[in-house]
Amino acid sequence: MRKRVLAGILSLAMMVSLAGCGGTESKEASSTDAAAEKSYTIGISQFAEHGSLDNCREGFLEGLKEAGIEKGKNLTVEVKNADADMGTASQIAQNFVSDEEVDLICAIATPSAQSAYSAAEETKIPVVYTAVTNPIAAELATDDKKPVGNVTGTSDVLPVEAQLKMIREILPDAKTIGILYTTSEANSVYTIEEYEKLAGDYGFTIEKKGINTTADISIATEDLLGKVDCMTNLTDNTVVSSLPTILDMANEKKIPVFGSEIEQVKIGCLAAEGIDYINLGKQTGQMAAKILKGEANAADMEFEAIEENSLYVNEKVAENLGITVPDTMKDRAVESFTEISESE
Amino acid sequence: MLELKHINKYYNPGTVNEMCLFQDFNLSIEKNEFVSVVGSNGSGKTSMLNLICGSIDTDGGTILIDGKDISKEKEYQRARYMGRVYQNPAMGTCPSMTIKENMSLADNKGKMFGLKAGTNKKRVDFYRESLRQLGLGLEDKMDVKVGSLSGGQRQAMALVMSTLTPIDFLILDEHTAALDPKTAELIMELTDKVVKEKKLTTIMVTHNLRYAVEYGSRLIMMHQGEIVMDYKGKEKDKIDTDDILRKFNEISIECGN
Amino acid sequence: MDLLFTILEQGLIYGLLALGIYITYKILDFPDLTVDGSFPLGAAVTAILIKNGMNPYLTLPISFLAGGVAGICTGLIHVKFKVRDLLSGVIVMTGLYTINMLVAGTNNLPIFSCENIFKNKWLEKLFGGEIPSYSKLLIIFIIVLIAKLLLDFFLNTQSGYLLRAVGDNDLLVTSLAKDKGNVKIIGLAIANGLVSLSGCVFCQEQKVFEISSGTGALVLGLASVIIGISLLKGVPFIKATTAVLIGSILYKACVAIAIRNFEPVFMKLITAVLFLIILIISMDRKKKVKNNA
Repeated sequence: MRKRVLAGILSLAMMVSLAGCGGTESKEASSTDAAAEKSYTIGISQFAEHGSLDNCREGFLEGLKEAGIEKGKNLTVEVKNADADMGTASQIAQNFVSDEEVDLICAIATPSAQSAYSAAEETKIPVVYTAVTNPIAAELATDDKKPVGNVTGTSDVLPVEAQLKMIREILPDAKTIGILYTTSEANSVYTIEEYEKLAGDYGFTIEKKGINTTADISIATEDLLGKVDCMTNLTDNTVVSSLPTILDMANEKKIPVFGSEIEQVKIGCLAAEGIDYINLGKQTGQMAAKILKGEANAADMEFEAIEENSLYVNEKVAENLGITVPDTMKDRAVESFTEISESE
Repeated sequence: MLELKHINKYYNPGTVNEMCLFQDFNLSIEKNEFVSVVGSNGSGKTSMLNLICGSIDTDGGTILIDGKDISKEKEYQRARYMGRVYQNPAMGTCPSMTIKENMSLADNKGKMFGLKAGTNKKRVDFYRESLRQLGLGLEDKMDVKVGSLSGGQRQAMALVMSTLTPIDFLILDEHTAALDPKTAELIMELTDKVVKEKKLTTIMVTHNLRYAVEYGSRLIMMHQGEIVMDYKGKEKDKIDTDDILRKFNEISIECGN
Repeated sequence: MDLLFTILEQGLIYGLLALGIYITYKILDFPDLTVDGSFPLGAAVTAILIKNGMNPYLTLPISFLAGGVAGICTGLIHVKFKVRDLLSGVIVMTGLYTINMLVAGTNNLPIFSCENIFKNKWLEKLFGGEIPSYSKLLIIFIIVLIAKLLLDFFLNTQSGYLLRAVGDNDLLVTSLAKDKGNVKIIGLAIANGLVSLSGCVFCQEQKVFEISSGTGALVLGLASVIIGISLLKGVPFIKATTAVLIGSILYKACVAIAIRNFEPVFMKLITAVLFLIILIISMDRKKKVKNNA
């Protein structure tokens, strides 16, 4: 009995001491000299550790800074990452709402946005989301883009039409585009619908292949490569993280793979009409700043999508595949790469 | 009446280790007989019990109870008219349930297990009375978990539980082997009492030759899947442990060890 | 104070899951991985029914039944086809992924705009307009309490005795002239029914169905069961089912502490350490029981 009590005390002590040592680390304290200025606390709930999502977060903070709300000066930021777990995402959101008394929650990616809105619905705390591909399907906005509550943000919907146009320009004879996607990722499912809707206008048919886990990638890719003239990527987390494998297999068959963002082109996709997540984050940050300053009300703000898309080309990949990229495209490209970098 | 007719049983059929245990094995046991079965290890005693109870399937032949073929019935179906006490005292009771709960389970054997209260309060006195006859003081520990009882106490409970409801056959599988001599003696006396009281047809496998001689109305010795000795009635009354030992030795010499 | 409410709400919702796992793990001695699929199954069934305008309270028994069917599938695979317990669960869990997707029609089905058990016209009428914030905890508490009392009641019936016996000593069940396979199937059905019910309440609290919400459900539930049973064993007047619920709340409290102070990456490690400590405590006690015997 005594041993049990002892162990109980020990474990309690451990939790407390752990709690103590962690407490100061993650909080980035606001300075006190800005006493005259109003200072803000923001909770950022990010769904997963992921290149584009990280860029969103950085852009978001930059956007706020441009509007005069700067971390370390008049802004305290609490960043939490749910590690792609829905349960954790909901606890993070509830923690922001119930305990931290944040002025605003920034939610990155769909599940985080949903859990943040769900937790904050009954409070006055506004939620600003980003990297939500389809806010309407996620029930964060109504069909006319109006928010369903005190929640707004930006959508990272891919410029599907521009991408199709770009593929047609580079590959005038291609007929079938293959797309790999994870069945559990809402954004991918939605984007594929867009592709299927628009593909016909550019003379393509879409061959899609759903996977459930990383383990399915090789077999699915092999199967898909046999049926298509080229492949294009979405921002699908599972597929993107296995991109090197896919590129390897595609290169062997000399089948070009198009990307959806700059990072993918860097590591060996032929080209991409993508969105710049830093810019997307900035746009979101500016929306948040307006809300914090009281200039606008989240409940009245339509969600926004990024206006312009950027073309990225990898000339080295084109050379390897024996494909000539039209000069007009090279000129239009925001960035051209002449080598294939190792993926990180 | 229990009859085993032309029973065949092989172990590991179709492999190099194939072993024939029973070939055309026959045995019939009359109502109210108390049969003691002895024999060396591997002679097929426990396998025979397993065949009767349905724990293992036969590879041929039929098992009849009062003329009715039960060889196709599953073990749990045959359990309706059989009670079995195992060598390991842990096998006849539920350790994490209390004595009262165990008794209630046993009392409900053969009936519907529905949504009525697990323990019928009106029956508790009857359970207590049944346990009092053991003289182990269990009747005062009704709410104690069976897992905390000693092996002998648990075996006594297992015996009471398996004979609480009306059954035709009592199967005793070396049920005193894991107990110390004093407790074994006690359990054996209890067994005899219960069998006589309830007029049960009993098959008892044992390594204790004295029990085999002292108790029961019939004695069978098995060897390599065959019955090599079968005494009943007056014949059985005459033999003693030395006779059995002599027979044991004979067999061993035949086998060359 | 708000945080306490959150912990209690979450702890009780996942407490239903823990009750289910208590049946499989502690009573049946069956490592049932089905739960990782039956939890989102309850959520999927709930989301699609609510979306189609069903009374949210009716989704509670319906999800229970849906989970029960999943449990029966695992049981049948294990009992009738003699597939090992762990594998039977894995098979059904894997299949449920697709089933859940088909039931909900998508991998992410929000129900923000619909009524749910915490917010509906009936409650508004009951409270006269504004629904107070404590009502959520109250409703969860009532649901969990009913589930717990029903389970307690069941475990004390003749069938409940049989269920407890089958995990303890299945030979005895056979000798009671009962098919132990059927008893196991019933146990799995009830367990997964509870897990699915947990998913149902979780979905309505989150107002969204997410296909990934069941990931790690088994581990989470196991942790709650072990924490609760180990810490509260032998405490008078505390039933195992109560202990399991308390365990679930304690687990959620630990997670809340971890979330407040750490990157979630550390959470698994903290859980692991906590787990170990509690296991050591319970092992220490088991030894003592043996020595006394």
